[in-house]
Amino acid sequence: MIPPGDASGDRNLEAAIGRVLRLGVLTSSACLGAGLVITLASGSTGVAGGLLTAGLVILLATPAARVVVSTITYARERDWLFVALTLTVLAELIASSIAARVFRFH
Amino acid sequence: MLGAGVLAGALGALLGIGGGVFLVPFLHLALGFPLKSAAAISLATVIATSSSVSAGRAGEQLINLRFGMVLEVATVAGSLLGGLTAQLLAETTLQRLFGLVGIAVALAMLGRLGRRNVILDPGVDPGRLGGRFHDAESGGTVTYRIKRLPVALLASFAAGNVSSLLGIGGGVIKVPVLNACCGVPLRAAAATSALMIGVTATTGAIIYYGRGDLSPLAAAPAVLGVQLGSGLGLRLGERASARWLKILMAAVLLAVAALMFLRSAR
Repeated sequence: MIPPGDASGDRNLEAAIGRVLRLGVLTSSACLGAGLVITLASGSTGVAGGLLTAGLVILLATPAARVVVSTITYARERDWLFVALTLTVLAELIASSIAARVFRFH
Repeated sequence: MLGAGVLAGALGALLGIGGGVFLVPFLHLALGFPLKSAAAISLATVIATSSSVSAGRAGEQLINLRFGMVLEVATVAGSLLGGLTAQLLAETTLQRLFGLVGIAVALAMLGRLGRRNVILDPGVDPGRLGGRFHDAESGGTVTYRIKRLPVALLASFAAGNVSSLLGIGGGVIKVPVLNACCGVPLRAAAATSALMIGVTATTGAIIYYGRGDLSPLAAAPAVLGVQLGSGLGLRLGERASARWLKILMAAVLLAVAALMFLRSAR
């Protein structure tokens, strides 16, 4: 068990989260930038559309990936309360993607 | 689009908030995007800002991970509900809601003009959710304990709700509450909130994307612009007078609120 408030485990987690977020934001910006440049240069091509969509999906997946990394870290530390909390956040994220498709409004 | 993103990002970074509260009305009122599309694009920029700001801050121990993870359960539930509600509400209702929130943010900005952060007693036991970080300004270690957890959860839920409905990060709601009611030092509250708004905005953005309101081509320049702008804003921030900037931006927000009410009355 990690001492509360001053967790060296949390410090490692913070660094891991930082790496995931940086990787996600750089990859997604590169895709979005490339997609945008191709669209401006040669119109809306399949490649450009694919890059733009990939960039957006990576952007949306980045915070979720950060939560997954947290869940794994807390599971290794056997901190089940925080495993449960982060899994709840993931379940809510999954619920939002299902809700967007399943519910029919108007 | 790119310019709007740069401007919103720079203003957001200068004021220590996400730029959404400026980007949404600009896209809607000046560029003619429907309010839902504007909110969706803004949420995409919020995710990018949250990720890059938090990646830059990781290692400073300002982000309170455990407290953040607890609050995320509430804020994501709030934004899930808000994202679904947004699909049901008429555009005029959303415009009025944005007007109200704009006024509230402007007043909060003016109210905090002279506020300084209180440095807490280092002997405090941080408890299970509290935190400890090195404060460069005072040169000491700041330790704090979380007070009134239910209030923090409620504020996070409300922030998530407003975030999805209007396309803003929601930090403007959480940070003052965490600071004033829950004993979290301002810098730690801002850093923790900046990390949280990533998942908050993702929930809303997923719903808008699934409904077809988030166009990758429109989001791309805004996302890139906001990232350029927030880098610029952070650099300018050291020179600009925060006081006058806040007064100016509060005035801009009040004008935006008035325009939103006018639009909704048409």
